[in-house]
Amino acid sequence: MAGGTRGPLNLTDNLSVMGAALKIAAKELLESFRDRQTLLYTFVLPVCMYPALFWVMVQGVLVVQGQKNARDVNVGIVAPAEILALASEALGTDAATDAETGGQVAIVPVDPSLGGDEAKLKALVDEGGNDAPDAIILLPSSLDGDGQAQVYFDSTDSRSEIARERSVNALQRWADDLRVGAAEARNVDPDALDPILVTSNSVAEKKDEGAVLLSLMLPMLLVIMSVLGAFFPAVDLTAGEKERGTAETTMLLPVPRTATHLGKILAVSAAAMIATALNLLALGLSAGHLLDQLGGATGSVVVQLPVGALMSVLPLAVLFAFFVSAMLTGVASLAASFKEGQALLGPVQMVFILPAMAATLPGLTLDMTTAWIPVVNVALAFRAMLVGDVQALPLAICVVALFAAALFAIWFSIRLRSNEQVALAGETLSLGKIFSLLAPSKS
Amino acid sequence: MTETNPQGTDLANRAASSSSVAIFADGLKKTFHDPQRGVVEAVRGIDLDCRAGEIYGLLGPNGAGKTTTLRMLSTILAPTEGRAEIDGVDVGADPLEVRRRIGFLSGSTGLYPRLTGRETLRYFGQLHGLEAGALEASIEKAIQDFDLSKFADGRCETLSTGQKQRVSIARAVVHDPPVLILDEPTTGLDIMASSDMIEFIESRREAGRCVLFSTHILSEAERLCDRIGVVYGGKMLASGTLDELREDTGKEWLEDVFRELVQRADAATR
Repeated sequence: MAGGTRGPLNLTDNLSVMGAALKIAAKELLESFRDRQTLLYTFVLPVCMYPALFWVMVQGVLVVQGQKNARDVNVGIVAPAEILALASEALGTDAATDAETGGQVAIVPVDPSLGGDEAKLKALVDEGGNDAPDAIILLPSSLDGDGQAQVYFDSTDSRSEIARERSVNALQRWADDLRVGAAEARNVDPDALDPILVTSNSVAEKKDEGAVLLSLMLPMLLVIMSVLGAFFPAVDLTAGEKERGTAETTMLLPVPRTATHLGKILAVSAAAMIATALNLLALGLSAGHLLDQLGGATGSVVVQLPVGALMSVLPLAVLFAFFVSAMLTGVASLAASFKEGQALLGPVQMVFILPAMAATLPGLTLDMTTAWIPVVNVALAFRAMLVGDVQALPLAICVVALFAAALFAIWFSIRLRSNEQVALAGETLSLGKIFSLLAPSKS
Repeated sequence: MTETNPQGTDLANRAASSSSVAIFADGLKKTFHDPQRGVVEAVRGIDLDCRAGEIYGLLGPNGAGKTTTLRMLSTILAPTEGRAEIDGVDVGADPLEVRRRIGFLSGSTGLYPRLTGRETLRYFGQLHGLEAGALEASIEKAIQDFDLSKFADGRCETLSTGQKQRVSIARAVVHDPPVLILDEPTTGLDIMASSDMIEFIESRREAGRCVLFSTHILSEAERLCDRIGVVYGGKMLASGTLDELREDTGKEWLEDVFRELVQRADAATR
């Protein structure tokens, strides 16, 4: 029986596992690119999403800002009669009018007897209505410098918020005028009352401020982009394959099963990386241009994609893409159809996205503790690298932890997919079954 | 393994003594754990041997265990018990080498819909280790042999059932395997496509290859097979040439032979 005959064709020796995996990955990637759904949801939609999202956001901010400035508001004043007259004059003039849009402050009468009853003042502001005050100013009984002015407003009401803003500005100007008048009456130079004027000057350049802003957003976006980029290919190449009736064909490939599964993980990783790169490109092109339109609304912060910093993040991003892809491919393998695969991966993608939000917390940094926490460590490492504030040891721990996580994910995925029940399952496997498949075999 | 064929020869001994045995199975069993049905014994001890240049037909009704047997021989499923060899290679010990030596085709080995026929042949040829020159020659030969030229560059998802079947056959033999395993190869095909398939199977025999195929179409088995194995309830009821089966049962027509064997099996289990 030994020493049978293979066909007469000239066949080379066995392909290496990696060689076979690369050939399989190339074929799987080609198939993914030819699938309209994968192409749309993985590449086209996210790439179009950023310009669209930024455009909507910018237009929204401009519209809201414009509406806010143009709005007329009512302000009530509670004060003794002589002070009320002065305050009404100060607040009713141009001092309280928006310079660009002409939005004005109208002084509405308020029962002076409410003066001592804070609860009633609050109730009056809460009440709202066209002729009701949007904010109420409670002035002191004298202007000798001992009293305090209180502004009552509803912080949940944008109209009341505008009334507060204009009232405070106008009161500040009035207080300055009173201070100057009092000083001149006493033959004192008004400027001498403020011997030291304090101003703050940031040494950071506007583009550095933009980089910090991006370092809060980009790590989370990198994680989300990787996860979303891997999502559809992972489902398509596993559960989708079962649905198309080609799972058995794949099992007949004359290569080790490990190579087949590794090829799929490589293809999903490549799709995730391509999607991430395209996303970043779209983000870079759209963010800077559109944020410029906001001008003062962003404090003239210059937002530029830090290409150099992103290149330094690349190796970590690649490793992370393997980790994500292996996990998603493994889990999606448990589903029997594309639809079930999507349902299974929904919660799994949140396992990645939610910890990544940690990177948006300003106080949290990559240290000896956070470097061990999966996903959180990667997001924080991304942030540290983007702002150029990397500590070697935590970063090394992060790389080791991520490498271990990626290896585990690949093992998990291959272990699951190597099982004939998973590879050919006609229905989604139960959780108990999954654990039994992962347990070491008795033989 | 104690089951014998109608000639009374022990299969294991025959396998050991004959160097031309291309497929050999001894006591193959497969048990599934189904959440609804519990433990299901799909195959309960199948023995068979099939030689080079021979067509062997597995005949049996739906659910008899034919497909599971063929899947075990082609390494898609691992046997629960028993052993099998393909072209001298143990299925359990070296499944990869077995896959290199077989061409397998069934209703569930679909074509990758987004690849063209030519890309499919190239993909399988490359993974089978065909060298660059031999690969292109093999692809062109397959395209010629199976008359694929008009649609070889169209995506498989756009092909008709008959065209898909032809690409599937070409895919299965692009590396010219010594063993061909076909699971109900004519099911779902129209008359012309079925006829093409039967011609193809005969051509493989003429080329000295071993063909094992399953069917429940008696006329197909009668026309093609050098030997027939009757499978029922996960067991091999009998195996031999048509004449041997006729002699064993005393029946003339294959349909009657089949019914006689099944009735005997049912009676034995009562």
